[in-house]
Amino acid sequence: MMPGWVIIIGRSLVFLVLLFVTTKVLGKKQISELSFFEYVAGITIGSIAGEVVTGLEGNMFHGALALIVFGFVTFLVNFLAIKSKKFSDFAEGKSTVVIKDGKILEENLKKEKYTLDELSALLRQKNIFKFADVEFAVLEPRGNLSVLLKKENLPLTPKDLQMKMPNEKEPQTVIMDGNIVDESLRCAGKGRGWLYTELDKLEVTLDNVFLGQVDSYGELTVDLYDDKIQVPSPAQRPLLLATLKKVQADLEIFSLETNCEKSKEMYKRNAEKVQKTIDMLSPFLNG
Amino acid sequence: MTIASNVKQCLSTIKGIESQLASFALNSLDSEAQVIFNQAMLTVGEVKKDLQYRVLELERNEPQYKGS
Repeated sequence: MMPGWVIIIGRSLVFLVLLFVTTKVLGKKQISELSFFEYVAGITIGSIAGEVVTGLEGNMFHGALALIVFGFVTFLVNFLAIKSKKFSDFAEGKSTVVIKDGKILEENLKKEKYTLDELSALLRQKNIFKFADVEFAVLEPRGNLSVLLKKENLPLTPKDLQMKMPNEKEPQTVIMDGNIVDESLRCAGKGRGWLYTELDKLEVTLDNVFLGQVDSYGELTVDLYDDKIQVPSPAQRPLLLATLKKVQADLEIFSLETNCEKSKEMYKRNAEKVQKTIDMLSPFLNG
Repeated sequence: MTIASNVKQCLSTIKGIESQLASFALNSLDSEAQVIFNQAMLTVGEVKKDLQYRVLELERNEPQYKGS
């Protein structure tokens, strides 16, 4: 007969693997947002595993069987919930509207057994202190509140100001810990040769770079191990905008200085062209 | 500083702008940015042509400025 502690070690390892596999099969949802079913299954699976591992007199395989059954049923519920909307409403709950058109729906609030205090607490967590600011609010099945503020209370966006903002792609981290990350470099549409040239331009060596990122415009920003060294931040785009403005001003001066009518007209036309280009480019060149 | 040398200076600045726009057009990841930069490059190229012509004209009319 093996000593008890050996059995405990063995069972612990077996159940760790089993729990790991179960959570893998059930997916990320099991860890982040628990629906009712996953909540119950999670608790039960955990306690079964704990019981079996320490309870020496019990049969390990009975515990494993119970664990597998719970895992399988949860998996089945998840599967059916994806297939059928009705089933998912039943198993995982529906969201309830609690504020509509700026008015609290007392009936729905009562149905979800929330008091006014609890509702105001949830609103305060979202930095809302006045009911009047809310246009629409929904209690999600997981118990959190989603709020749509009235238009006038929403944060101002460039769209509200009718500003045209360029779309930017996600920056790619191309150097990590002094090593080139070839995969992100390819995502950025660049090669090693390009990277070495850019590093030369910044006058830094690859092994001194802790982190290097390429932004949407193909500009490289680096963070060095040696924090005393100052690296110029990319300023090509603002500089280009300034140069364009200078050229535009120069062209206007030329048009005033010359006496030749034909050239005057030519300078003026080109100054306008450059001005139009500046207007078109400035969203891309600012910042 | 003469007019001719000022215009020449402006012309070389424009050449610099054109090449930088070309490099941005090639290096940008967003397709809309690529199009805009390319378009700007072409417009600047037109301005460059006009100025080049004007520089030649100035040099012909006032040969003393040639090469300055």
